[in-house]
Amino acid sequence: MADDFEPHSLDQDAFLSEVHSFEFWFQAVEGYLSDRPYGHREDMPDDPDSITNRDGLVTILCNYCVGEMAALEASSGMVRLAPNNHSRIFMATQVADEARHLEVFEHRLVDLGVDDPEVEVARRANPQIVEFKRRLLALVDDGDWEAAVFAQNVLLETMEYTVFRHHAKTADPVTAETLEGVISDERRHLGFGENDVGRRLAQDRSGNARLLDVRRDLDPLVLGVFDAVFDDLSVPSVERPRLGREYLDAVERLGLTA
Amino acid sequence: MVDFLAQYSIQRWLEMCPQGYLEDTVYGREAGESEPDEILENDEIREAAIRTTVQLVVGERCALAASSGLINAAPDHGSKTFLATQTLDEARHVEIFTRRLHDLGVAKDDLESTITEHANPNLIKFAEVLLEKVDAGDFVAGVVGQNIVLEGMAFSVFEMLEAVSRQENPKFAHTLTGTIADERRHVGFGENRIGSLITQYQERRPDIERLQLEMTYHMLATFADSFRGDAAAVDEGRSDDAGPVEWHGTDLASATPEELEGVLADTVLSEFKTRLGRIGLEYQSPPVPA
Repeated sequence: MADDFEPHSLDQDAFLSEVHSFEFWFQAVEGYLSDRPYGHREDMPDDPDSITNRDGLVTILCNYCVGEMAALEASSGMVRLAPNNHSRIFMATQVADEARHLEVFEHRLVDLGVDDPEVEVARRANPQIVEFKRRLLALVDDGDWEAAVFAQNVLLETMEYTVFRHHAKTADPVTAETLEGVISDERRHLGFGENDVGRRLAQDRSGNARLLDVRRDLDPLVLGVFDAVFDDLSVPSVERPRLGREYLDAVERLGLTA
Repeated sequence: MVDFLAQYSIQRWLEMCPQGYLEDTVYGREAGESEPDEILENDEIREAAIRTTVQLVVGERCALAASSGLINAAPDHGSKTFLATQTLDEARHVEIFTRRLHDLGVAKDDLESTITEHANPNLIKFAEVLLEKVDAGDFVAGVVGQNIVLEGMAFSVFEMLEAVSRQENPKFAHTLTGTIADERRHVGFGENRIGSLITQYQERRPDIERLQLEMTYHMLATFADSFRGDAAAVDEGRSDDAGPVEWHGTDLASATPEELEGVLADTVLSEFKTRLGRIGLEYQSPPVPA
């Protein structure tokens, strides 16, 4: 891709084909994954013993792993549901992104002294994120592309984007840098979701009511996860409404007001 | 198994593939490369190149559907991770071969109709046999079908096309080089991961061997259609000025369509026998396609 390439100069179809391509993904991740094995620079100072509330961090990362596994399983199922070639290719890039997130979080758990991340994740998983995963995968199994994109690329990705950004500000340096790379991916996934759902709703508002039902079904779980993670992160209660609002604002930008 | 699967991590894939052999490539080839005028200016050869490339897109779309579909059926974390990398590899292959169709003059709006028009019916049946197993969540059969049979076929087809294109069409040859490297990794995973599962689930052998037999039948029928019914396709990439192109004992530059079909089929089947033997399965010989 030429350095002066400007995707916004393309017509809509060409633009979508371009920004949802492997090539675009390839150029995007090169910027923030080069020389960062497992999501962070190898020479970063790391002292897990000095991390305040290390056990709380382990619980948080375990729940991030549940969210990432949900996204990996959902996005892989959505490849075949995709309505066109460029959405299919984008979803394939997301599959690899989600698998990478799972890998870097599990790698961090090992750094923190967890012997078997899979066992620890199962032991510490918050029931509400587990239930969110079950309901998301049910939408995928039903072959409902629109609802699955909304649940995964809007609701789940917004939840993760909000939590990860907040967490990165207070985390130890290695965890923070790992989160920064994940946040860059989430921004891309969220952009796809908002674009796809937004365009569909703009063409046909009849989908609104159905997606509102999905939202009503999943919102309590998302807000429950927020509470649990914010407890583990020791977020002061005065800050919590603002973070919850960030999530709600992102969803309501699509016109899906509860 | 844990150590073996560590070789298929996302981190390892990032280092080997995007940050390795794909570094500095654009759509899998060098920037600025284009299809040769000999193809673009000769309608018969250009149409043949389109027909050949359509089969590649069809095969890769099947591999994309299969690899992504097998993630949820995978029994362990490491296999899910590997299949996530394979999903993206296959998406890349779909993209670069689709891109080639556009480079050969297929308009964006005509893409699907061109694929529908030229897709070989036997290749579609080949894909359907595999995807039926994937849809059923049958991980063992799905991986044998995809990572041994489909990938084994793709590996040899790409190698042959790369050899015949190397002198006259470096752009296409370079595109194929990266896909060959990917397919080698996919086949390696299939052999390594499935051997232990076949040992564990001996009762699955007859069903899996039947899958291999059916897929092989449709593959050979596809080869027969491609070489015997499409003389122009044989000429794609060949030139009177080019020297001999040796591939598995055959000069691809001068071989007849029958000889080309023969060397490709023999090479793929020989690879099948070796790879199936490594995972404890016996190659099943299909009836000769009509």
